[in-house]
Amino acid sequence: MNQADLSKLVSALRIAVKPKPRLFASPEGPAGRLRKLKATVTALVKYERIELNYPRAEEAQGYAERLISDAIRNGDCHKHTMEMADYWLDEKQLIHKLFKVLVPRYKEYNSSYTKLVLGPKTYPGYYAGTAILELKGNPFPALQPATQNYHYWLHNVLLDEAKREFRVAKAESNTNLSEPVASKN
Amino acid sequence: MLRRVVLQTFRQGLAQSFFKRNAASLSESAVTQHPIETSEEAGAKSGSKQKNGDESGNTVVVAPPEFRFMYPEFLPDPTMERRNKLKEKLERMDMLQRRSIIEIPEFYTGSIMAVTVADSNSPNKFACFVGICIQRGGSGLQAWFILRNVVDRQGVEILYEMYCPLIQKIEVLRLERRLDESLLYLRDALPEYSTFPFEMEAERRLNNSVVPINPIKVKLRPRPWLERWERQNLQGVEDLNLPQRYYDRAKEVAKPWEKYDLMLQYRKTIPAEEQEKIYAEVHSQLQQQDLKRKIKRRRGPSSEQ
Repeated sequence: MNQADLSKLVSALRIAVKPKPRLFASPEGPAGRLRKLKATVTALVKYERIELNYPRAEEAQGYAERLISDAIRNGDCHKHTMEMADYWLDEKQLIHKLFKVLVPRYKEYNSSYTKLVLGPKTYPGYYAGTAILELKGNPFPALQPATQNYHYWLHNVLLDEAKREFRVAKAESNTNLSEPVASKN
Repeated sequence: MLRRVVLQTFRQGLAQSFFKRNAASLSESAVTQHPIETSEEAGAKSGSKQKNGDESGNTVVVAPPEFRFMYPEFLPDPTMERRNKLKEKLERMDMLQRRSIIEIPEFYTGSIMAVTVADSNSPNKFACFVGICIQRGGSGLQAWFILRNVVDRQGVEILYEMYCPLIQKIEVLRLERRLDESLLYLRDALPEYSTFPFEMEAERRLNNSVVPINPIKVKLRPRPWLERWERQNLQGVEDLNLPQRYYDRAKEVAKPWEKYDLMLQYRKTIPAEEQEKIYAEVHSQLQQQDLKRKIKRRRGPSSEQ
């Protein structure tokens, strides 16, 4: 049984976090894994929407969310947060973007800050294909339509009408139950 | 094309645990406005409840932020596969129940403590041990700490489980902290750093609100040692005076990237929102127990007179 680490306070992430990290074998070992994820997180903050392979996208999503949540919780005067931002963002103007643009954008959010959408698989088979990782609130047109349900679709029209009829019938039956008592007298 | 189903195979328990974590966090509609400072020292031992308003205007009871240092065993094991909200809640109830019977005081690694245990084999039926706390760990009812002392020139360490019903009394003789969270290097240190008399009496604290940090730098015996202390970035030991090749090899095997691994840190910690919830649940009872004991202590000597 392990005791939770108390040295840092972290915000709860609003994405699904898997219990074990992916290893991403590379000639440099674990240092290489973090170097590649660093490049992905930098690109995400720079371009706000990137297309890449699904496994790396999912790992980078976690790190990006952690970075943004730390920046929101602690602000730019916090030494540790600034060190993390300095490490994870290769281009230094992106540190400015993180604290001055992304933090005010995501301060009031109750959901996750990134979105991971599955992309095309260029060849059939059982492997994770591509994915599109984007920061929410980006200026590009949406990848998926905003709402799925429209009230003017035929089946929605029919359902709404059926619900209305049910409510009316129920109200009538309630009044019928109370009326016979009154009419007898 | 965008709605491709991806076959993901993980065990049922894993899927449940992280979907529940996701669902629970998404369902929180109120963002807590209480700013918790990241404090690496134990702050003031304040007894005041902090009440914050949430969006609906109702007061939300929140425990002071120092609680996580005073009662770290109330936080569950961060390993995701073993999280179970119901089990943790039941465990906290049992812990509070035990704490209502026996006083488990606030202590840290580096504090000198005396523990009395019920022992059927000893003539008094009680066994008492005094020592310095070199490590503490475990979560929930399995929380433990190790006391070390040198008795008749023989180093002795005993691991006590804090919530074991055999424990009769836990007393903190000297409440202080050291520069490291784990004092395992005392095993390789000169014996005078681990020797404490069994007749030691409880020392009165000069300042009740701040736990002092003892900045002592311990001298180690000459090598061989039980662990490679030069690789562990210890603050509380004197200069190890090793040949340069030890430090070079330590640099080769070091993992400096782990400091920046945000997800590794996340998987080792309980998020602040969860910590708040846990301590909010628990702190009123803890404070009531504390208050009752204080009153009893004040009445005790006066009623004897």
